[in-house]
Amino acid sequence: MQDKPLVEVKKLQKNYGDTEVLKEIDGTVMPGQVICVIGPSGSGKSTFLRCLNMLETPTAGQVLFEGKDTQKFSEEELTTLRERMGMVFQSFNLFPNLTVLDNLKLAPIRVKKMSDKDAEEKAMGLLKRVGLEEKANVYPNSLSGGQAQRVAIARALAMDPEMLLFDEPTSALDPEMVGEVLAVMKELAEDGMTMVVVTHEMGFAREVANEVWFMADGYILEKNKPNEMFEHPQNPRTKDFISKIINS
Amino acid sequence: MKVKGRNVLLTIMTLCLSLLFLFTVQPAHHTAYAADDSLQKIKDRGSIIMATSPDYPPYEFQVSKNGKSQVVGMDVDIMRQVAKDLGVKLVIKSMSYDSVLVAVETGKADVAMSGINPTAKRRQSVDFSKIYYNGGQSFLINKTDVGKYKNKAALAHKKIGAQTGTLQYNLAKTKIPGATVKGMDKNTDLVLALKTHKIDALGIETPSAEAYVKNDHDLAMIKSGYKLNKNETGSAMAFKKGSGTLAAAVNKSIDKIKAKHLTTQYLANAGKYMKVNTNNTSMVHYWTYFAKGIEYTLLISAISVIFGVLLGTILALMRFSKSKVLKAISVAYVEFVRGTPLMVQVMFVYFGVGIIVNLPALLSGIIAVSLNSGAYVEEIIRGGINSVDKGQTEASASLGLAKGDTMRFIILPQALKNIWPALGNEFVSLVKESSIVSIIGVTDLIYQLNIVRADTYRGVMPVFVAMCIYFVMTFILTRILNYFEGRMKHAR
Ligand SMILES: Nc1ncnc2c1ncn2[C@@H]1O[C@H](COP(=O)(O)OP(=O)(O)OP(=O)(O)O)[C@@H](O)[C@H]1O
Ligand SMILES: [Mg+2]
Repeated sequence: MQDKPLVEVKKLQKNYGDTEVLKEIDGTVMPGQVICVIGPSGSGKSTFLRCLNMLETPTAGQVLFEGKDTQKFSEEELTTLRERMGMVFQSFNLFPNLTVLDNLKLAPIRVKKMSDKDAEEKAMGLLKRVGLEEKANVYPNSLSGGQAQRVAIARALAMDPEMLLFDEPTSALDPEMVGEVLAVMKELAEDGMTMVVVTHEMGFAREVANEVWFMADGYILEKNKPNEMFEHPQNPRTKDFISKIINS
Repeated sequence: MKVKGRNVLLTIMTLCLSLLFLFTVQPAHHTAYAADDSLQKIKDRGSIIMATSPDYPPYEFQVSKNGKSQVVGMDVDIMRQVAKDLGVKLVIKSMSYDSVLVAVETGKADVAMSGINPTAKRRQSVDFSKIYYNGGQSFLINKTDVGKYKNKAALAHKKIGAQTGTLQYNLAKTKIPGATVKGMDKNTDLVLALKTHKIDALGIETPSAEAYVKNDHDLAMIKSGYKLNKNETGSAMAFKKGSGTLAAAVNKSIDKIKAKHLTTQYLANAGKYMKVNTNNTSMVHYWTYFAKGIEYTLLISAISVIFGVLLGTILALMRFSKSKVLKAISVAYVEFVRGTPLMVQVMFVYFGVGIIVNLPALLSGIIAVSLNSGAYVEEIIRGGINSVDKGQTEASASLGLAKGDTMRFIILPQALKNIWPALGNEFVSLVKESSIVSIIGVTDLIYQLNIVRADTYRGVMPVFVAMCIYFVMTFILTRILNYFEGRMKHAR
C-alpha cells in the first residue's frame, strides 16, 4: 500500500443549524483498505459517510478525492465521484416501483449511457454473483431483508465503483440474514474493493477490516487495528463503548 | 424565509394588477378608438349572434322539435325578422341571464335579447334599441289568495318576489309600501317560492305571468297598476356601446314589425309551442335533456382532470425546481386560483380572455375548470412527492443519477401511486363543481335542469332528478376508482 490515498479527510466539520454534529474529523483511506467505523448512536457516523460522497455539504474542512477537493467539483465531476463511490444504506432504499433487474439497470443506462443489452448482461452477472439470479423480475417488496440488501449491493456494483460506503448494512436485518450479507461484503473486500463500513459486527471487523475508527462527540477518538481496538482500547470512552457492545 | 414570502406576495400583486389592467384599460382603449363598424362586421360575417337566456317564456324558451332542442319564442321570431331584413343568418347563443349583457360588452354576441328592460343603469354600459314590446307589469299569486290580494294596494307590507336586478325588483322595492322584496335568479325558483308560500306575490311581466297561469292551475294573476314611463319598462335589445349603425338598422326593422303588429302573431306562435311543451311534463319525457347534460358534465370533468393532472405536475415540478422565479410563479398561481371562486374564473376565461381570443363556451368552461383543477392537483402531487421516502432520493443521488432522472423514474411514479385515491376524489368533485359552467351557457346537467324546469313549469321534480343523477354518477365513479385502487395495490 504505497499508493496515494484515495480519500483524505481534513478537519471536516458539519453543523445542522446550531447543532455541531462533526467537530473535527481527520482520516485517510488508501486504495484497497477496509475501514470500519464504530461509535454510539447519534455520534455522526452516517453524517460522516454522507460527507464523503457529497450527499451532505461539509460546513468546514475538506474531503479530498484523489487529491481533489470535492467541494469544488462541478456537476459532472460530482456525478463521476458518485459513480466511483457507491453507497449501501441501512434500509436498502431499493426503488419499489422498479423490478430488481431495472433497479440495477437504471443508473448504468442513464448515467453511463450503457445500452439496454449491455446493462442487462451486467445486471444479470451481478445478480448471479450475489446469488439472486432468479429474483431478476420480481419487485423489491417481495424480497426478504437479506435478499434486498444483496440486491442493493449489486445495484451499487453495477456502476463499477472503486469504493463502497456501507451505512450499517446489517442492522435492519433479522439475525439469520446477517450472515449472507456479510459474506458478500467479505468477498468484495477480498477482491480488493476499498470500503468504509459503519458497523457493529465485531466479527466482520476483526476478519476483514484494516483499521477500526471509533467515533464519538463529533471526533474520531481512536484509530487502531481491529484486534488492538477490541482487546486493548486506549481511550476510556472506547473502553466503555466496546464493553457495552460485547455484553449486548 | 421572510424574503421569500415577500417575493411571492409581490408576484401575486403583479398578477392582480395585470389582470386589472387587462379589464379596465383594454376595453376602454377599444371603444375610444374603434370606428363604428358594428353593422359592417355582421354583414361581412353573414350572421348576427344573439345572446339569450332561454328560460323566460313566452319571450324565449327551449323546446324539443323533432327530437332536437331549439330556442323559440317571441324574441327569437323578432330577431329572425331583423336578420332577414339585414340579409344575414341568425345564430343563437344560450347562457344565463346574468351573462347576456356581458356577452355583448365583450363582443361574444352582437345583440342581447332576453326580455331586457332598458333601465338607466344598464344604459351606462350598453346601447339599446327602441322598445320592441311593452308587455306591462303583473303579479302572480296563488289561486287560493285571489280573494285576499285584489290589487297592488293589498300587497303593502307583504313579501314580494322578483328576479334580482330586474325592473320588477326595483318597482316592488320603491312602489309598494312596506314590502319585503325577495330576489332570486330565476323565475322558476320564484314561482316555486310562491307556491310554497315563501313569498306572497311575484312581480313579473304580463306575458310571462299569462304563460304561467295557463300552464299551472294553482296560480292566478293581477295587473300591477304601476304608473310607468313606457321608455323604461318595455323590452329592448342591447348592443355594445358605440354600435350606432347596427342599432339604426335594427330600429328600422322594429318599426316595421310594430307597424304590421307582428308581435301579436309571434306571441301566438310562442303560445302554441308552450302547449306542445307542457303536454307531457313527466321527467322520463325529458330524458334526452338529462342525457345531454350528463354527457357534457362527464366530458368536462374527464378532460379537465386530465389537463389538471398535467398542469398540476408541471406546477409541482416548478415548485421543487431550483429556480426562484419558477417557484414563485407556481406558488403565486396556486394561491391565486385557490383564492378566487371557480365561477369568477369561468366568467373571466369566457368573457375576459374573450376580448383577445374568441373562445366558445364549452372550450372556455373546460379551460377554466382545468386551470382551476391544476392548482388543486398541484397540492395533491406535491403531497405525493413529499410522501416518497427521502432515502429514495439519496439512493438515486448516490448512484449519480441527475435530479430530473430521479424525479422522472423514481419519485413521480411512486408519488402518483400514492396519490391515486386523492386524484380520484378530485375527479369526483369536478363532476359536482363543473356545474358552474352552466352560467356561460354550456349545456351541462345544471343548465339542462334549468331548461327542463322552465319548460315544464315544475320547480322541484327536475332538481330532484338531477340530484339523483349526480349521486348515481359520483357513486359509480367512486366504485370504479376503488376497484382500480384495489387492483393497483395487488399489482405489487
Ligand atoms: N438533516 C439533519 N438535520 C438536523 N440534524 C441532523 C440531520 N441529520 C442528522 N442530524 C443529527 O446529527 C446527529 C448525528 O446523526 P447521524 O445520523 O450522523 O448519527 P449516527 O452516528 O449515524 O447515529 P445512528 O447510529 O443512530 O445511525 C444526530 O443528533 C442527528 O439528530
Ligand atoms: Mg446512522
